[in-house]
Amino acid sequence: MAKDVIRQKINDAFLRRALKNFAAAYPVARARAFEGLDFEELRGRISTFKQEGLRNLPELVARFTTSAERAGAAVHLCTTPEEANRTIHGIITSRGADFLVKSKAMTSEEIELNHYLEERGVRCLETDLGEWIIQLAGERPSHMVMPAIHKNREDVAELFSRATGRECPPDIPQLVQVARETLRSGFLAGQVGLSGANVAMADSGAIGIVTNEGNGRLVTTLPRTHIALIGVEKIVPSLKEALDVINILPKNATGQKITSYVSFIKGPTGGDGRELHIVLLDNGRLRLAADPDFSEALKCVKCGACANVCPIYEIVGGHVFGHIYVGGIGLVLTPFFHGFDKAEEILKLCIGCKKCNEVCASRIDIEGLIVDLRDKIRKPAGQKFLFGTLMKNRKLFHATLRAAYLAQKPFQSEGGRIRHLPLILNRETANRSLPPIAERPFRDLALDKSESRVPSPESREKVLFYSGCLADFVYPEMCMDTVASLEALGYEVSFPQKQTCCGIPARYSGEMEVARDLARINTDVLLEPEADYVVTICPTCTMSLRHDFPKLLSADPLWREKAERLAAKTFNFSELAARKSGARGAGLGAGKGERISVTYHDACHLKRGCGVYEEPRRVLTELVGVEIREMADCDKCCGFGGSYSIKYPEISREVLRNKMENIAATGAKTVAVDCPGCKLQIEGGLEAAGTGIAVEHSATLLARRLAES
Amino acid sequence: MVEQFTTAAEAVGAEVKRFPTLNEAVAAIRSRAGGRAVATSALPPPVRSALDGLDCVPAGALHTAEIGISFAQAGIARTGSLLLALSDPAGRSATALPPVHLVILDAATIVADLSALGGTLGALLSSPGSAYLSLITGPSRTADIERVLTIGVHGPKELHILIVEEN
Ligand code: SF4
Ligand code: SF4
Repeated sequence: MAKDVIRQKINDAFLRRALKNFAAAYPVARARAFEGLDFEELRGRISTFKQEGLRNLPELVARFTTSAERAGAAVHLCTTPEEANRTIHGIITSRGADFLVKSKAMTSEEIELNHYLEERGVRCLETDLGEWIIQLAGERPSHMVMPAIHKNREDVAELFSRATGRECPPDIPQLVQVARETLRSGFLAGQVGLSGANVAMADSGAIGIVTNEGNGRLVTTLPRTHIALIGVEKIVPSLKEALDVINILPKNATGQKITSYVSFIKGPTGGDGRELHIVLLDNGRLRLAADPDFSEALKCVKCGACANVCPIYEIVGGHVFGHIYVGGIGLVLTPFFHGFDKAEEILKLCIGCKKCNEVCASRIDIEGLIVDLRDKIRKPAGQKFLFGTLMKNRKLFHATLRAAYLAQKPFQSEGGRIRHLPLILNRETANRSLPPIAERPFRDLALDKSESRVPSPESREKVLFYSGCLADFVYPEMCMDTVASLEALGYEVSFPQKQTCCGIPARYSGEMEVARDLARINTDVLLEPEADYVVTICPTCTMSLRHDFPKLLSADPLWREKAERLAAKTFNFSELAARKSGARGAGLGAGKGERISVTYHDACHLKRGCGVYEEPRRVLTELVGVEIREMADCDKCCGFGGSYSIKYPEISREVLRNKMENIAATGAKTVAVDCPGCKLQIEGGLEAAGTGIAVEHSATLLARRLAES
Repeated sequence: MVEQFTTAAEAVGAEVKRFPTLNEAVAAIRSRAGGRAVATSALPPPVRSALDGLDCVPAGALHTAEIGISFAQAGIARTGSLLLALSDPAGRSATALPPVHLVILDAATIVADLSALGGTLGALLSSPGSAYLSLITGPSRTADIERVLTIGVHGPKELHILIVEEN
């Protein structure tokens, strides 16, 4: 993605404010809309029948076609955008028309229908207010449900003034009135109307359309010919499934219980030569439906929720974060609908926070699909050495990190932190100070320690400590604190020296083979010594060991069994510590005098990657004995994302800024985290801003408390 | 159920009035529509004839009507929605073009939620021939400019629901 476009969006004050306000308002409205409804159950049902439908998509298409034709519609299955455009143009000319009045259809954007028709002398009029605005502006939608969210009232007033030839003031009710009056004649004059559909039913051949403005009903009623352009994946078996989709759509899209209008249209109504043409768009869908790795993407019901909650979308908007389809699913669908060349850059924009997965109406693993797709795109030069040679050779990799200690020395400030790094970090990271690579990594300190070890009683549960590279080389004291806390809580801890990178950086860069190699190495290293648990202090590592290793190694039954065995005994530090909270009793936590307050930041990969968010809070309140002042959006990404903060420093900085505002608002002087990456990011930001707020790993807070008592 | 329907419909900007008999509802419509152009093509013939004498616009000029009048098939209590089965395009136009839409709803047809309406919808869609069903909830609305909720874009700006509670 061109850096200047990203910078331009970041500096677009209106866009930023609009997206930020929406990001704040959406979760509240959404929660209210789902009141009294079991979201998980509903989306679970949708996910199941959608996946089932995709398995039999050709059959569903055939059944829908038969039913719709029986009801009097003409059905046209079109393989390519070109074929769909040609078919629609043919229908329009066969009716002797040169004017098309349209209600909202993302499929029309997908095949660039307006462009095709205008070139052939057919005038197109968008009647959805948002779509009309962007049609007048000559732009594309920046959100699937709110296409013109990037336009303010002044922009709209200017566009409307130009379109109507009269002065339109920047007053929203008046602008809406202008649209009503101006577009009215379009509806009445329209010879052919085009709509999309949100769902199509195979048993009856009916289609379902949800709208708020009422233009959908007019477009499908006044013109004597109605064309519905529908992606084949919208077909569901019957009304029952259609109602589930209609139920979830507005709630997930904008937090509305139901839209003003839901229309079910079966066949052409009204007789006297009226026609209904249903153009079913394939454009790669039938092939994608049969793809074992990516078919899941087609479960999408286009609610737009994945964009609504995305921290990166909130910063850059849909013109950057997507192509025609925007948001997380836009990144996934673009390569299949519009080609890998269009997708290459945007696929890198996802920071991997999994927020989208949490709200997806069809329970799609959007983030997982994005990561898997990166494997399919061209890799940048240099990456081959980094991942092919360096990462797979543990000794070389660790030697390089040690060498970095010497290389960074001249850049260290008095406090020991780095304000400027050569080459890899440009001046845009200047808002963040960085901790240096430690003189002695934890793996060396662990060697000293094991020599002085006193044998512990046999009854203790044995724990292998998997530190992760960042903690090992940058925060060795965090590792020491982990060992000290766990030992004080009654575990016996040891550190296998041969452990190496968990492979996530390779996987995120699309180097699946390297990730697989690293998974095998670590699995052997961590299964060899007899131990009850493997403990990590980096949520990304926890997630990798627990979920990615079994997935990466699933092809070979032998390796899969090993990976699953490892996964079953891998825990995050807070989980193991929290187990002792009851046993240790209130003695530890209930400190003397006033409890100090901390605020807690949930790491993306801990909360959503591992489903752990309650245990860290128990560790803090019951074992460390502090009070938690929850911040707004406590589980929203901090903007680190590993190398993301280096690749897209401008975006990372803005995500961090939001986080810091929420932290400051709590008034707490300490932020507790369970992730070395979050610490690096947030601490750097808070320090550069001179806030005096500290960021500590829970293990450090616990070690300090245990040392006191 | 009527209470819940009323609350939900009012929450989305509809105006709800309750009448003990259909005649009284018709009388209310008469007094409201008096002298104004009305579109009645969405009404079943008996109700339409009860409104005889009003200034009814012909099917070709529905866009000139100030008030559209219709009769709902059913209501949904949870969301305050109305089901209109209008396979005749003129009937739909009468409920889509005029700025004011009056709907008569029989209290006995109100169901709890969308899924409870499934049977009715299913029967209407599975009967042979074509069909056009609309669920209508509140007046026409948009939030497409700066996400500011604005009532009355392309459809009616006012939705009045007349609930008839004739045992
Ligand atoms: S994982 Fe996070 S950054 Fe990526 S698309 Fe989903 S919400 Fe956006
Ligand atoms: S991927 Fe999921 S959340 Fe995103 S638009 Fe599709 S259904 Fe909605």
